[in-house]
Amino acid sequence: MIYVLEDLINGILMGSIYGLTALGLTLIFGVLKVINFAHGSMLMVGMYAAYWAVALTGVHPYLALVLVIPVMYLFGHAMQDIIIKPIFKAEKQVREPITVIIVTTGVWYILDNLSLLVFGPQYRTLQDNPLRGKMLEFGDIMISVPKLWGFAAAVATALAVYLFLQKTRMGRAIRATSLDREAASLMGINQYRIYNVAFGIGTATAGIAGVALVPFYNVFPSVGVLFDIKGFIIVVLGGLGSIGGALLGGMIVGVIESVGPQVMTATWTEAIVYALFLLVLFVKPSGLFGVKYDW
Amino acid sequence: MTRQQFQALSLGLVAAVVLALPLFVRSATYLHILILLYLYAYLTTSWNLVGGFAGVLPLGHATFVGIGAYTSTILSLQYGVTPWIGMLAGGLLSVFVGVLIGLPTFKMRGAYFALATIAFAEGIRVMVENIDQLGPLKINGPRGLQIPPLNFGLANFMFPGKEPYYYIIVTMLAAVLAFTYFISRSKLGYYLSAGGEEPEAAMALGVNVARCKLIAMAMSSFLTALAGTFWAQFTLYIHPKSVISLDLSFEIAFIALIGGRGSIGGPILGAIVLRPVSDICRIYFGDKLPGLHLIIFGVVLILVMIFLPRGLQEPFSGLYNKVADRLTSTVPRQE
Repeated sequence: MIYVLEDLINGILMGSIYGLTALGLTLIFGVLKVINFAHGSMLMVGMYAAYWAVALTGVHPYLALVLVIPVMYLFGHAMQDIIIKPIFKAEKQVREPITVIIVTTGVWYILDNLSLLVFGPQYRTLQDNPLRGKMLEFGDIMISVPKLWGFAAAVATALAVYLFLQKTRMGRAIRATSLDREAASLMGINQYRIYNVAFGIGTATAGIAGVALVPFYNVFPSVGVLFDIKGFIIVVLGGLGSIGGALLGGMIVGVIESVGPQVMTATWTEAIVYALFLLVLFVKPSGLFGVKYDW
Repeated sequence: MTRQQFQALSLGLVAAVVLALPLFVRSATYLHILILLYLYAYLTTSWNLVGGFAGVLPLGHATFVGIGAYTSTILSLQYGVTPWIGMLAGGLLSVFVGVLIGLPTFKMRGAYFALATIAFAEGIRVMVENIDQLGPLKINGPRGLQIPPLNFGLANFMFPGKEPYYYIIVTMLAAVLAFTYFISRSKLGYYLSAGGEEPEAAMALGVNVARCKLIAMAMSSFLTALAGTFWAQFTLYIHPKSVISLDLSFEIAFIALIGGRGSIGGPILGAIVLRPVSDICRIYFGDKLPGLHLIIFGVVLILVMIFLPRGLQEPFSGLYNKVADRLTSTVPRQE
């Protein structure tokens, strides 16, 4: 019984980090109405940035945030501005241009294989960082410290994004664009600038997730694919466009993955996650917690 | 020379070159590359039936390749059924699965449909990887199935050389092209492109869009599964990471999209342009620059989507029309 409790807690912690990786995906969908297939690759870039920042300077892993957040924001901003904007301009009348999915898939392939070329296929870990393998003990229950920090980062980031969207002028403009881009344009909002900002923020949250993962997770070129597919599942589970839904969806997936192996072979849990995803897709495509315009 | 004659002449010329190629290409490596090129052209043309004409974005077609490969291989290894019958059985099973996937998903909007097909394909891959034995059927999980090259001959769909495979895949490709041409000129083809471009308008005119898409999906999954059997018999080794992989699903879609979805020549053009790129990269730069061909794919994909949204076939067919006009009549062609 105690094991189930331990698995449950660790599942929720890891799941919240999954949710953090999916946060940008849901934000970008909410505003641009496109699924960014390159989001996992963005996470991979963020992980490499964090890894190298720490490995080369030897600072505390979480200090990498100072570098990773602005770099990733600019990266996402530039990607939307250079690659995705021309397609939006060409397909103005389409609400959910499929072409953008295809283009972001192209970006995914380029980024993943570029990092394979540059960094090689080997798995990298931050060997002697202060958080590695650190555990908190509560009686018989062991909780991983870096995952606990990841949980805190996920909740803090979600809260920060939520408050930004609710309380600031830019946040209001983003919400207006996501509701109705034509009407927002008529009110004097430059929709392409909003897209740039939303893409930048979404990418920056992937960077935060990368920093949270690096102390205990391997970094390798195709690491993004793992989180990409998981991210799609999480955002649909939680409701595309819903920030709280992304966190909750992530926790559901995390709990299935950690508690599942108690009763079945570990690899089968993956199939259960897919089955749950399809079930939600067919029964309630707006997701478990998603209201159509949640924010 | 009339235009019909010109078309027949160029078609005959292409057919003659394709059929005569093995007489000149003696190297097994290049023959192998050519066979893969035709195989991919076949796969993308089959994908195009639903991904191109029906205007949706299926990203899980490797499922059907896998079903075809596994069905015929299990039947021939365990029950001694010739792969030709297994091919048909795999196709029928694939239709069943394709309709099962299509029924709930075709109601969804663009992004959701793409995600649902990915989830289906990955779910099936995970299941195959986790099952060693399904009732009496030996699936062998992640280790895959090997076909021992013992009984050569047409009946066993197994040959010591590569030439027979070449002619089989050329025949299959020609058949699927003729079929696509026939569909594109049929009522169903018009319904499909109407439903793909303006679903509301098509439905208002009384077209049952969902049913047309389902028919297209059934045909596409059947044809894709046949290629799966060919793949198994050609490589004699299948495993979940090769025939049911996400990479294969994406590659099929990419090639068709770069070539030009919704046109007959587009997917083939895509395969002609991109397959050699990927093979040459793998042969000559595989050890030094791994993944180079995928970077090229990605760059070409983005450039084509931004600058030639209708695919590479657009400039090519424009060129063809110009040449044809110059050579055939002096009367300007009626558009």
